[in-house]
Amino acid sequence: MPTLEKNALVFRFPKSAGKAKFSVDFQRTLRIPDSDKDYPLPPGLGRFPLRHVEDYPNLPAQTRQRGGIVLPVWQSEAIWLNFNGGSRSNPPFAIKVAAGKINAVTGEQWSTPLNRNPQDYMVWPEQPWLDGFAIAPGVIRQFVAMPLGEGYSVEEQLTGEAEWGGLQISVTPMRREAWERRQESLWTGLEEVSFCFLETPMASDEMSLGAGGRMQQVIEEDPYDLEDWDMRATQRVFVTLWHASRWKDLTGEAAPNAAPSAQDYARSGLPWYAHYATDQKPLPGSGALDSVRSVADLHKDKTGATLPGSQDVTPGPVVHLAPDRTPEQETPREVKSDDSW
Amino acid sequence: MQQCSTFGPHIRALREAKAKRDPAFSLRQLSVRCGVTPSYLSRLERDDVAPPGEEVLRRLAGELDQDVDVMLAMGGKISTDLRKAILARPQLFADVIRTLRDMPQEAVLRLVREVRDGDW
Repeated sequence: MPTLEKNALVFRFPKSAGKAKFSVDFQRTLRIPDSDKDYPLPPGLGRFPLRHVEDYPNLPAQTRQRGGIVLPVWQSEAIWLNFNGGSRSNPPFAIKVAAGKINAVTGEQWSTPLNRNPQDYMVWPEQPWLDGFAIAPGVIRQFVAMPLGEGYSVEEQLTGEAEWGGLQISVTPMRREAWERRQESLWTGLEEVSFCFLETPMASDEMSLGAGGRMQQVIEEDPYDLEDWDMRATQRVFVTLWHASRWKDLTGEAAPNAAPSAQDYARSGLPWYAHYATDQKPLPGSGALDSVRSVADLHKDKTGATLPGSQDVTPGPVVHLAPDRTPEQETPREVKSDDSW
Repeated sequence: MQQCSTFGPHIRALREAKAKRDPAFSLRQLSVRCGVTPSYLSRLERDDVAPPGEEVLRRLAGELDQDVDVMLAMGGKISTDLRKAILARPQLFADVIRTLRDMPQEAVLRLVREVRDGDW
């Protein structure tokens, strides 16, 4: 089972060659405008704090039964997942991500095994992060948190129910024999992790993920064979999202400040990012996910008002990050700023 | 102390690896960002001077993308928060550390609290 270390979920495989380790943290970021424009990758503004669900008896019983972790997020705040498998000597990992138990790559219902038709997972290190739902080749719609039960989430739009919320993630290391065969000296194991947002006892406190603005992010085909992945070592974690305005009531701690708007960030001249994909073929994206209405679109329908921060911006300098199995910086997209972002 | 004797070359190797791709990691530019003089950083990289204090070590760790606790340990330091924790319950932590110091890493990791999975 994973551990919580410095606000990251850390998965270790001590019996695996190389003692493979994989971590996932959740990055605060700005919400990109929701328009026809495809934006580059926004920065990471630091990790969301993560806490053990079982430490908070005030959480709904159903949430506590799911176990896992809880993090605070503001309404209409964006979030991205940062993956880190360590050094080049470590084996690759297959990562499956869902929101509200809707697979973020295929738009299908969550299932534990890795599947190929269609491929419902990503491979690290080729995929160092995930920012949203895959709607077309090389295009995603940003993860944006909204109260579960208000109809904004992808889960609610595709299933008609507000049952799960949250994120589900699975991480699957490679089989030892497969890795040794490919690398002549290394082996892999498998670990599967699942994150889900908070279930919704009260829609005002539990959050789910809707579809935000469009962003350029390629999700590539798995360069390995499906049989290379060891799916026996699956582990799961349920990640509950709690409305940041109620975080102090729950934990006694102050929630992080709301992230800056895309407009404020663009004015600051700080960098945006792009990721050079490898030569693997991009996955097609999901027609079901492409059919989902965006948070801003629904907000206008429900309230008659434009979601704040929806005006297009001109991104500042774009930093191109090459695929790299051994990034020297744990989170190369993270902006170090003196601001209280 | 072995850690101290390898501190300088370790820092230099990290900095030079970054400097190959980013001129902001020249000796001069990094020293400015870390609040020390270029000559001091140069001597530090040659182990001509003892490792710096916690604040500079933290800045170096941040600039070089290293774990702060590891950087502090390589510099022969313990972070302020850990020191406070130990001093608050010195006997308890002394016993714990002595108990754990010879255990294999996997055994120690088993003591770290795991994230509980439930029904979903």
